Amino acid sequence: MTFDTSTRPEHIQGILSSLDRYNPETVTIFQDYVQQQCENRTYDSLANLALLKLYQFNPHLTRDETITNILVKALTVFPSADFGLCLHLLPANALTEPPIDPFAEAVLKLFSLSRLLEACEYRDFWMTLDSDDLYADLVTDCAGFEELIRLRIASTIAQSNREITRELLEGWLNLVGDGFDSFVKGSCGWAIEGDVVKIPLNKENEAKTTVTRENVKFDQFQRVIKRAYEQPA
Amino acid sequence: MLASQNFTGTTRRLREESDTDDEVLASTLVDEALRDDGDYDDMESAGGSLQISGENIQQRLAAAATPLDFQAPLQNRFDSYDNYCTLFHFILNSDGPVDLELPTVGSLSHYVDTPTGQVDATTVASCGLNAPYYWAWDVIDEFIYQFNSFCSHRNVVARKEAGGSEEERKLLCDNPQTWGCYSVLNVLYSLIQRSQMNEQLAAIKKGQDPKQVTISDIGDQMEPGADLGAIVSGEYGSRPLYRMLGYFSIIGLLRVHCLLGDFTLALKTLDDIELNKKAVFARVMAAHFTTYYYVGFSYMMMRRYADAIKAFSHILVYVSRTKNFQKNAQFDSITKKNDQMYALIAICVALCPTRLDDTIHASLREKYGEQFTKMQRGGPDALQIYEQLFMSACPKFISPIPPDFDKPESNIDPSQHHLQIFMADVRNSMLAPTLKSYLKLYTTMDLNKLAAFIEVDPEVLRTQLLVYKQRSRQTRWIEGGLLEGDTVNTSDLDFALQGDLIHISEAKVGRRLVDWYLRNLAKTY
Repeated sequence: MTFDTSTRPEHIQGILSSLDRYNPETVTIFQDYVQQQCENRTYDSLANLALLKLYQFNPHLTRDETITNILVKALTVFPSADFGLCLHLLPANALTEPPIDPFAEAVLKLFSLSRLLEACEYRDFWMTLDSDDLYADLVTDCAGFEELIRLRIASTIAQSNREITRELLEGWLNLVGDGFDSFVKGSCGWAIEGDVVKIPLNKENEAKTTVTRENVKFDQFQRVIKRAYEQPA
Repeated sequence: MLASQNFTGTTRRLREESDTDDEVLASTLVDEALRDDGDYDDMESAGGSLQISGENIQQRLAAAATPLDFQAPLQNRFDSYDNYCTLFHFILNSDGPVDLELPTVGSLSHYVDTPTGQVDATTVASCGLNAPYYWAWDVIDEFIYQFNSFCSHRNVVARKEAGGSEEERKLLCDNPQTWGCYSVLNVLYSLIQRSQMNEQLAAIKKGQDPKQVTISDIGDQMEPGADLGAIVSGEYGSRPLYRMLGYFSIIGLLRVHCLLGDFTLALKTLDDIELNKKAVFARVMAAHFTTYYYVGFSYMMMRRYADAIKAFSHILVYVSRTKNFQKNAQFDSITKKNDQMYALIAICVALCPTRLDDTIHASLREKYGEQFTKMQRGGPDALQIYEQLFMSACPKFISPIPPDFDKPESNIDPSQHHLQIFMADVRNSMLAPTLKSYLKLYTTMDLNKLAAFIEVDPEVLRTQLLVYKQRSRQTRWIEGGLLEGDTVNTSDLDFALQGDLIHISEAKVGRRLVDWYLRNLAKTY
């Protein structure tokens, strides 16, 4: 969950912290803000959830395109729970199989993408994304979608790997050749040695055995010491 | 103003009006936010027809806190809604704060809720003192309960599952505004604002007495234009009735947001309340209990299992320690929720293995032993158990808008919707228990060898390892608002892949000796 509010404009903050968040008139402001997030590669989950809530209460104001954009943005912050939290606010019939309308179909498609990412099946994710033009239409509004996803994938890989074969990583990142080299060296800061990509040690991938020891505070002995004074042996 | 339109007899008329009702209600909600003190006069006229006279106010107050029969016919539910509207309108929009004698409740036993449980002179006296707490809690609790059961019932009727007569359908269809989401939220937010509860809590957090300090003292988060010299608690908020209604409305909001599936906002609502035993809600057992149930549940839905487990165990330990003292009606009513929380904690622990408090662990085994073992074992068989327990223990989710009566098939039970999303996450971790049991045995291991042991494709195993790692990193609360937290490793097992070689490490907990030592020392001395 990302609560980075540094990019949140003041007027949005104002609406979120007042009852205006329930005012249907603010829908357009939030919609513009989603648009802005898509263009500027920023992300504001609380504002997006507030908009979904307004749609939930006022279904006649719903704009399907904005909802799918929010869902696509939430994909770019996986593995946080945001995507699921957005789904919870959608109408209950949006997830029924088979889909009842084109909107439900789009939601289900995005849901399947999200499940692939959550299950770390990155190769399948890229294949699915390429398999249908509908996917391209859905993510087109979100600037840098592929790169944002790639960075997230890279960070989960860095959590659990120290070395990984080039071939495998190419499939996971859906990059080959120079593009692969520059992404791995530039954006990730990893080293390529022949067929192997080396990921520097970090807190998550060192897997060090730790022993948590008991922390003893002096206060715990207060009563014993007090008693020792009270009853001199 | 706010209530003049929807808390009064005019609600009936409004119901028959067009689709824009929602917007009317919404804008009144907003008006309230922008309300300027002192323009109360113009709302008088609207409330006129339903002025509450001195005699029947007592009845109404008592009625508001009395549970509606589960099987109550629809008409009673409509009437009850109107009663609440009138009552809240009276409380919120009279000329200045209302002075109320709270109902002297017949059976004191219902209100005795001290850990000692002895009904002696002091308890009775303190009951009188504490009456606003109990009464206010009961009103808010019952208000939301009726809202919840009304919406669920409406949804069932619309789905045509459990029958429901044509008459009922027609009545519900014609009155979409009754027990509307906006009006319920409106009441709760108005009660909070009228009592200036958030400001008061902010002051308390800073260690100040809200009845003494002025608004300028707590500074930072004030709306522009607030009277900086005014006392924080205000004309309304310094009275127990308003203070308690305002306070419990915050808990009510937590609950309503959760019922609507907005778990983030649910937890955000509690920003100003500190969760500990000294909190005001802890004085009313049912409130204490409800708060932790919804907090824990929201955390669970946000996949913050460690936090959910903490919330559930806190309250379950508390209940198990005090249960012997609480043999009254109030306690019976929470027994069901108690079992539900055991089911939820079982789910959380299965998804995020954690050592539980001994007493809770024992009760868990007693209540859900078999299911718990199956869930801990994982695999496809466990999925069904997860579904069963989730459905038996989740709140009765509702949809904020009236269902579509003309298309029964398009109305899905909201619980199914939430279950589906939750299960997507559960499904993802079905191999984790097996994986863990093997990894625990080694310090280094070859990926292909391990894959052969558990009979999966090596590449499947590789992704499963990534999943395991990813799921063991959770946001956990450290301090501040309930939504805050740092990412931590919640598993006692960690590993790293070097090509096909798995390096495994364990986080061991050293033996805890001090407690044992002190206990024995205390025995001998």
